[in-house]
This record gives sequence, structure tokens and C-alpha cells, in this order.
Amino acid sequence: MDKRWAALSTLLLALSLLGGCRVENRETRLDPPLAEALDHIALMPNGIGGTPPEIYTIMGKPYRTSSFHLSQGKRLYEWFGCQACHGDGQGGNAPSLIDGWWNYGPDLTSIYASIRDGRPGGMPAFRNRLTNEQIWQLAGYVQVMGAYSPPSAAPGRSDRPQTRPAENRAPAASAPLR
Amino acid sequence: MNTMPQPDQRDASLEDARLDIMLRQVWDTPRGLWGALATVDHKVIARRYIITAFVFLAFGGVLALLMRWQLARPEGQLLGPDVYNQAFTVHGTSMMFLFAVPVMEAMAVYLVPLMVGTRNIAFPRLNAFSYWMYLVGGILLWGAFIVDLGPDIGWFAYVPLAGPQYGIGKRVDIWAQMITFTEISALAVAVEIVVTVLKQRAPGMSLDRIPLFVWAMLVTSFIVILAMPAVMVASTSLILDRLVGTHFFNPAEGGDVLLWQHLFWFFGHPEVYIIFLPAVGMISAMLPAFVRRPVFGYIPMVLALVGTGILSFGLWVHHMFTTGLPRLGESFFTASSMAIAVPSGIQIFCWLATIWYGRPVYRVPFLFILAFFFTFIIGGMTGVMVASVPLDTQLHDSYFVVAHFHYVLVGGAVFPLLGAVYYWFPKFTGRMMSERIGRWVAGLLFVAFNFTFFPMHLLGLLGMPRRVYTYQTEMAWGGLNLFVSVSAVMLAAGFLLFFLDAIRSARHGEPAGDNPWGAATLEWATSSPPPSYNFARIPLVQSADPLWDAGDELPVTSGLRVDRRELLVTTVGGALPEARESSPRCSLWPLWSAIATTALLMGSIVTPWAVVWGSVPVAIALIGWFWPGGSKEDES
Repeated sequence: MDKRWAALSTLLLALSLLGGCRVENRETRLDPPLAEALDHIALMPNGIGGTPPEIYTIMGKPYRTSSFHLSQGKRLYEWFGCQACHGDGQGGNAPSLIDGWWNYGPDLTSIYASIRDGRPGGMPAFRNRLTNEQIWQLAGYVQVMGAYSPPSAAPGRSDRPQTRPAENRAPAASAPLR
Repeated sequence: MNTMPQPDQRDASLEDARLDIMLRQVWDTPRGLWGALATVDHKVIARRYIITAFVFLAFGGVLALLMRWQLARPEGQLLGPDVYNQAFTVHGTSMMFLFAVPVMEAMAVYLVPLMVGTRNIAFPRLNAFSYWMYLVGGILLWGAFIVDLGPDIGWFAYVPLAGPQYGIGKRVDIWAQMITFTEISALAVAVEIVVTVLKQRAPGMSLDRIPLFVWAMLVTSFIVILAMPAVMVASTSLILDRLVGTHFFNPAEGGDVLLWQHLFWFFGHPEVYIIFLPAVGMISAMLPAFVRRPVFGYIPMVLALVGTGILSFGLWVHHMFTTGLPRLGESFFTASSMAIAVPSGIQIFCWLATIWYGRPVYRVPFLFILAFFFTFIIGGMTGVMVASVPLDTQLHDSYFVVAHFHYVLVGGAVFPLLGAVYYWFPKFTGRMMSERIGRWVAGLLFVAFNFTFFPMHLLGLLGMPRRVYTYQTEMAWGGLNLFVSVSAVMLAAGFLLFFLDAIRSARHGEPAGDNPWGAATLEWATSSPPPSYNFARIPLVQSADPLWDAGDELPVTSGLRVDRRELLVTTVGGALPEARESSPRCSLWPLWSAIATTALLMGSIVTPWAVVWGSVPVAIALIGWFWPGGSKEDES
């Protein structure tokens, strides 16, 4: 009888510990100080490459691993007209995002900077249209779209005519030159 | 005395005591861990099923309380929108798939073999397998919820919300595979019950002598077999859409969003009757014991059960009135929805006539039956209201609907079920539950239930939508919501009292004796709790109420072997003895198969390749399970 209670209490303890790990936490509104700190990237002088803000690491790098943030990024990609130039990711007036080539660097910080500050040749700056967190979400999505291997967290296909494999199905169109 | 059975020894020449020892040797589940994992005894498995289902009921109830706490005042702060979405989804899913259906089937797994007078359910190993699958499905859902991966799409998971574009992360995939687990187990049990009822009845129990509960379970099992595949197809299509990019529900590529609703409700509406018909059967089984006469109108009752079963497949579209149907479709499904009130009405009137002509004894199960009448009739009448398209268009997705289906499900199924637990508790444990506490439970639940859910009708009419995690002060819904929430605490107190009484009575209740209610059906013809072999000698049935009509001594048959598990197979119509059939022994293969299937289904949440590689262990386990044994079967 005692053994049974011991087993039961162990089980309950294990369950409550499990409750501590929030696998798919969905923060709908970030703390303002956190959101502010998210903008503190350290960029190289030429605007390519750099390190993300410390707070990003402390938060557990959510914008690349959480399917919630990636899906938010996908929505922002549509809502803010990225398709107008980049199409479904295969490019159009603007370069393709899924061919494995990155004119301004493949790392998340560079992509963040590209969206926030714009780039020469027509890429507009979005710093006044999106919050810091939204730019991170969008950057994360863009990076996943062009990833070289199928990611574990990615949005599924859209409910519309399919022009390319869904994000969770396909690695980037070609591997990078080495 | 030599108790070792000789080969091919029959029971005819043995004395009762000796027969008991020999049957125990053959039928008892071995003690210890191996026995616990390998058992195929329908009573042991059903007990586990029932306890597990009530645990899920308690969990779901806790979620309901959390939601009521959140909604008690405007702008509540307890649960955020995300957790609230998960809470109502897991509450609904848990109550429907992990409590209501399994607990009804579990009662049948326990009672049907006893009621038809056989020694074990048909396909006992499949029965063991089905329990493991059910258990894993429940753990999957609740484990996911605890780690914040709980589905957040409502218990019917409409696309496109649940589709790949909007159903973010793995939450929906977990829901879809939880469906697969529970439906596998439900289908397995349904097949067992159909075969048990049709082929294993005691000799003489012709179709017109089958207890009404068994009839209800037979009809329910056929509904399960016809309805559940629809939802498995639907959830599998959904997970294919999400995982490998198929387009079943994508209109842009030739799919159809409404296809989901049709597939789901083609299962989902019969599901209501899968829950309701067993409850009806329980009432028909309990009522005679408390009014001291057989149920009025046996044949109309059976026809009403069958009619409900058939009609239940013809009205799923009334869940979709607001999707824009052709006028003819609306009219047809309004008519069919109202038509199903007819067989239910017939049953209600037959029960009323039974009570009218009988001498009612107001014990606890009977109180629950009375509670059922009141609540279910209200639920049925609001059902007729929402069956009308213009009204439904107004009330759709409002709290009126929430009130309606809680009246139907709690009033129509949970009240009879609790009555049934009070009624059959002595059969399960050999002890009575407390009559005094039971009256408190029945009273508290009945009053608190109506206080909790009746105001929801009004909230719905005032425009409060379902599934909102909070509301503003200006909406003026605060007072009613607070009243509802306080009543919900009362309701929870009633359930708590019930659980405490059940746990206490299982150990310290008054010893019951074999037939404490003086009932007529065969499950009371053996001891309480029944021995592992159910009946030392298979009874011979000569009327619809064998224990009332047989006098002091129930006639029995003989001729079964005692050196191996053997039961009697009879004809479908007249239950004439046909053959002696061996019944499987304990085995670990169902558990291994369940583990292998679990690995496959869990893996498929993450990657489609799990289906390919996971099929190898499943195949190995199934080959082991069905490896031809050495013993001959089928002797006449």
C-alpha cells in the first residue's frame, strides 16, 4: 500500500515538473523592456554579419525554433507585401529567398538588419512599420524558408495554389557554394 | 482429492466445489506483474477502463472549473487566451473521447458477457489491446496539455483553423493521433460486443429474451462500427495535409473545407447516440428492479433503439446549418432531426408506463433515473428548438448550444451512468455504496447541474458566444456568469462526494450479497463480484426475466470441458447450442502490439517516415500474436 502511494506521489511530482517545461509557449505580447532590448544587435561595419542581442539568447532563441513565431512570420510576410517583390520566396523583382544565395549574409542578425534598415537596390526599411519582435519573427521565417535542410519547426503549406513545396517539406533550392 | 483435470474432462459429472477449483485453475489470471499485464479477463479490463475513464472525467472537470473561474467575472485574469483555448479543447476532447464513449463501452465489456451468460467476451486479447490503446491516447492528450502542447482548436477541430496554415505547431497533430488511438480502441470493443451478443448468448436466450441493455449495446456497437471510420479517415486526412502536404481540405487545389465538417459530423452526430443509447439501456436494465415489474413494451423499446441507431446517421448536417446549405437540405435535415425525437419519445413513454404500473422503490439509482427524465427532456426540447434552421442561425455558437448539449450529455448519459455505478457497484466489488451519501450526491448533482447550465440558455439568448476567454463589463453577462460559476463549484462538490463514497465503499461498504436489488437479469445469477469464470455452469434461459421466472433454482447446462478455457457458441436467432469454442489465455502479445502501434502513431506526429519504419515492429508483434497455436479448436 505504501509503495503504491510512493509511486503515485512520484508520478504526480513528475507531472508537475513536466508542467514546468512549456514546449510551445505562445507569448502574444512581449514585455516592453524585452521588446526594446531585442533591437540591440551588434552589426559589422559593412552591415553584413553580427551578433544578436544578448536577450535573444537568454530567451532561448525562439524566433528560429518556435513554430508559433515562424507562423507569425509567415503571416507578416503576406501582410506586409513581401510577395510583391520576392514572390512566394522564389524571387521576382527582388532576389529569391530560397536559392541558397544570400546577398547580405545568411545569419539571422543580417536578415534582421536587412528588414529593419532596408538594403540598397530597392529593399525598403520596415523599422517604422513593424515592431522589433515582428521583425524577428519575419526574419526567422525568411531564414527557415531558405534553410538547407528540412527544419523541425516550420509552418505547413498554405491553403492556396501551390507554387513550390511547403516550408516544412523542402530544403532550399540549391546548396551554397563552398 | 485429485484436482488435476483429465484431458477432455467435462463439467457434467463434477460436484460444485470441485468444479469451482478446476475452473479457477484454468480461468484465473495469474498474480503478479505478468498477470496484471497479460490478463484477458473482461472484468479486470473493464474495471481498469471504468476507473481510467472516471479519472479523465475528474481531470476534465478540473478544467471546467478553471474555465468557470476565468469566466466568473468580466475581464478575468486566470487563464490567458492561449491556455483557455487549450482548456476548452482538452475539456471537450477528454469528455467525449476519453470519458463518455470509453466508459459506456467499459460498462458493456463488464456487463454484457455476464448478462448473456458466457465466460468471457469474444476476442479477449483484442480487448486487452484496446485498453492499452485507450490509455496511451489519454496520456498523449493530457501529457501534451501539461507541457503546453494541448490542442487549441475545439473538440471538432474545424479546418482551416486546424489545417496546416493556421493550426500552428504540433498541437493539431497530437489531437489527430489521439483520435486514432481512441477510435482503434472503440472499434475493437464494438466488434467484441457484437460477436459476444450474437454468438455467445446462453442457450435459450433468443433475440426476444435479450436484456434491453444488451440490445442497446448491440445497436451502439453497430453505430460505432459504421461511424468511427469516418472520423479516422478525417483525422488521417488532416494529418496528411499537415505532415506531407496533401490537399484534402485545400479548396485552391481541389480540396474541400466543408468535407471536414461532413466527415466529422457523420461520425459526430452518431457519437451522441453512441453515448446516449447505452445510457438508455442502463435505465431499461435498472428500472425493473425498482418498480418490480418488467419494462413496459419490450418490442417497441427494441425497435426504438434500432430506429434511433438508423436515424442517427441521417441528421449530421444539422450541425452545419450556418454553412450555407441548399433549401432542400435544410428542410430535410430539420425534418430528420425532429424525427429522431420520436423513438426517444417512445422510450420515455414506455418508461413512464413502467413506473405507472409498478411499485417504485426510491433508492439512489432510481433517483438518478428521475434526474435523467427531467434534464434529458429539457435537453431534448432545446434540441428540437435548435433543429429549426431560423432559430439555429441565431443561436449557433452561442452559450445556448453549450447549455443544450450539456443537458443532453450530462442529463442523458452521465446521470444514468452514475445511477448505473450505484446499481452495479455491488456486482463489481461485492459491497454496497452508501444509500445516505448517495441521496446527497443525487440531490446535489441534480440541483447544481440545473443551476449551472440552465442560466447558460439565457446567456446564449443574450448573445454570449461560446469559446470566448473573457468578456467586457458592458455586456452585462457578469451576474449570470458568476451564478453559473458558483453553481459549478457545487456541481464539483457533488462529484467529489461521489468519488469519495465510491473509494470508501470499495473497501468498507456493507457486504452486498449476490442479488441486492432482487433484479431479474443473468449478471445477478452468479456471485458478486463474479469469479474469473463468471458462471460455474452456463445458465439455461427460459424467459426474458430469468431470475424472476425460474423460481428457486436456475436451470443450467453442462458439457463444457474444464481442462481448458471453453465457452458455448450458440445460434444468432434462437440461441441454440452450436459448438464448444476455446477462449484465449493470458498473453503479453496485446501489450507488445499496443507498444509497437504506439511507437508508430506517436512517431507519425513528427515525421511521416515513422509510418514506414514503425510498421516493422507492428508486423512483428502481430505475427507473434497470431502465430498458430497448437490446440485444436472448433469441436462440435
